[in-house]
Amino acid sequence: MNVELAKPFIKAAVDVLSMMAMISPKPGKPYVKKSKTAVGDVTGLVGITGDMNGTISISFTKNCAVTIVKNMLGDDIQDILQDVQDAVGEITNMVSGQARAGLAEQGLVFSGATPSVIMGDNHTITHIATTPIMAIPFTSEAGEFTIEFCFE
Amino acid sequence: MSMLTGFRDKSFLDKISILNEVATAKDPAELDALLDLFQNPLDDTSVDYMVVTALNGVLSSDEQKAVEVLDKEEGKLRTLCIRVCGEFQFKSAVPVLLKMAEGDVDPDFLFEVLTSLSKIGGPEALDLFRSNINNDDDLIVVMSIEMLGELKDEESIPALKAFVERNNEDDNYEVCDLTTWKAVECLASIGSDDALDFVVANLHHRNPTVRRVVTDSLTVLAGKAVPYLTKVISPETDKDDMILAANVLGFIGDKEGLDILMDAIEKQYSTDSSVKYAIYEAIGRIGTMKGVISLIDGLEDDDELITVAVMTGLDGLVNPGVTKKLVEIVGQGGSKAGKILRAIVTAKAVDIFQILYAEEKIGRFLMNAVVASKDSEVHEAFRTKLIEIGGEEAEADIARLPEAVEVGGKKALAVDDSKSMLALYRSILTNAGYEPTVGENGQDAYAHIQLGEKFDVIITDMNMPVMDGMEFVSKLRQTEGYADIPVIMVTTESEYSQQELARKTGVNDFITKPFTADQLKAKIAEYVS
Repeated sequence: MNVELAKPFIKAAVDVLSMMAMISPKPGKPYVKKSKTAVGDVTGLVGITGDMNGTISISFTKNCAVTIVKNMLGDDIQDILQDVQDAVGEITNMVSGQARAGLAEQGLVFSGATPSVIMGDNHTITHIATTPIMAIPFTSEAGEFTIEFCFE
Repeated sequence: MSMLTGFRDKSFLDKISILNEVATAKDPAELDALLDLFQNPLDDTSVDYMVVTALNGVLSSDEQKAVEVLDKEEGKLRTLCIRVCGEFQFKSAVPVLLKMAEGDVDPDFLFEVLTSLSKIGGPEALDLFRSNINNDDDLIVVMSIEMLGELKDEESIPALKAFVERNNEDDNYEVCDLTTWKAVECLASIGSDDALDFVVANLHHRNPTVRRVVTDSLTVLAGKAVPYLTKVISPETDKDDMILAANVLGFIGDKEGLDILMDAIEKQYSTDSSVKYAIYEAIGRIGTMKGVISLIDGLEDDDELITVAVMTGLDGLVNPGVTKKLVEIVGQGGSKAGKILRAIVTAKAVDIFQILYAEEKIGRFLMNAVVASKDSEVHEAFRTKLIEIGGEEAEADIARLPEAVEVGGKKALAVDDSKSMLALYRSILTNAGYEPTVGENGQDAYAHIQLGEKFDVIITDMNMPVMDGMEFVSKLRQTEGYADIPVIMVTTESEYSQQELARKTGVNDFITKPFTADQLKAKIAEYVS
């Protein structure tokens, strides 16, 4: 069942972003996509393996990503592109780690790969699994982002 | 003596190895000491994490104790017990869990309880899942729907239908809700007449993703779905519904579906050629010898598209009877023979080619039709076959095939999940002077876009697996350099709302199946000079 896997990731994303980036994301209505691609400006993508295999992505709009980086680093931004890439990778890593710890407590053991970050306006990325993809849109004062799950 | 005596004063390595032993030994005697370590953590993440693992282990070996702790504790220890009871399916925890879910509880906590109950299973929690089917938290709703499906709860059918219907309303059909997906799967799993009739009726849901979910669910049900799908194949049914039902019957490939499809052709349930096309394609996919009779009858049809569908279907089913019949029809000559030979070439029906190739005069005519084609992929397919056939004559014929055909330099991309439709596009497009590229679905086609290939025009189907036409166009329009390229959508949908949604997505124009080669060429000419 996908839903019980999704819950810890949603919780982890809210926790991590509110702690690290001082924003308070609100989850919207979950929906389903049949295509395997995620659309966004900056995406952190991580594959996980274990009791089930799948991929999880967090896609931020450009504005949202920049605001998060500013909140995390203050005004000390050297190279905005590099910093956004680092920050989104780091956030994805933390979300994945925290969520996997939550799942381990439910007896589901996963290991996570190193996240990769894809940047580019309206880029697309491909999830590896063949089942429909569950997407949860979030709104926050910094802008919008979407978490997508895809488990075999 | 407990292994955990004096634990807090031990070194880090000792702590880890002791906890490891406790987790493996699962001795209930260690429980109290572990509970103390859990409630008053040591503030060392790795040790605290191992305490949880050890506690999990010990509680898993003692159902009575686990349920007892579950009943009397609060906070994080209670949550841990909820999870343990679920993971190890402690039946005696069910009444306690049900009591916890009563009244006004926090949604996150309720989700934990429901997850645990869903793992334990059994009908005791049925009422609780029923009562949460309209909870404000969508994930709780989805969890409840999944369980109602597992318990095959017929009483929930009206509520499940409501999800799918709401997602079909004017303001709500643009995205497929998570709840709709699960409701469709749940109805398919319940499997009563009422539920399955409803699922079949939604083959034509307004949202393309919902339609895919419906098609997939029915395909998974396989033989069980066939009686409900065949009900739709009737003279009274709307043509779009009949097409979609025929498609699914083809995907399922169950022999049981064959009779009704053959009946539909024989008794002329529809004179619409796109319906007939879908039915012939399904008969070809089911692929039994019995279906061959219908396919052969289909050769009588004047529509070139249908002849291509018939040839695609027949190609895998050649037998002496088929050979005799084909030789007989083609031997009579005339426009019908020409149409059949062209269809064999367009459909790249190489197995039929092989048997007719041996038939002296007919073989020559057929070879001429292959050479006359302007499509280099057609040449390639038959070249491979000729090499396989071998011999002097075949070698001479291989020499007749042009290496590469000069085209006008204009390129077109055609996307469709039907093999025969793609064959037809290739034929029409090369004939119109385009170099054709084809894709089996949106994702396949989008791969060409990602490689930066340029096209003068794109022709796409609406309903396809993996990625449908709507999503493909939406992605195409968001890709730099592809904002203005003309897109023509081929559709059997007559509804205005579908076209409106497609136009919003970025489709320039529509052409409705069935169409003639000239109609498609004229439509393309409106956009490409």
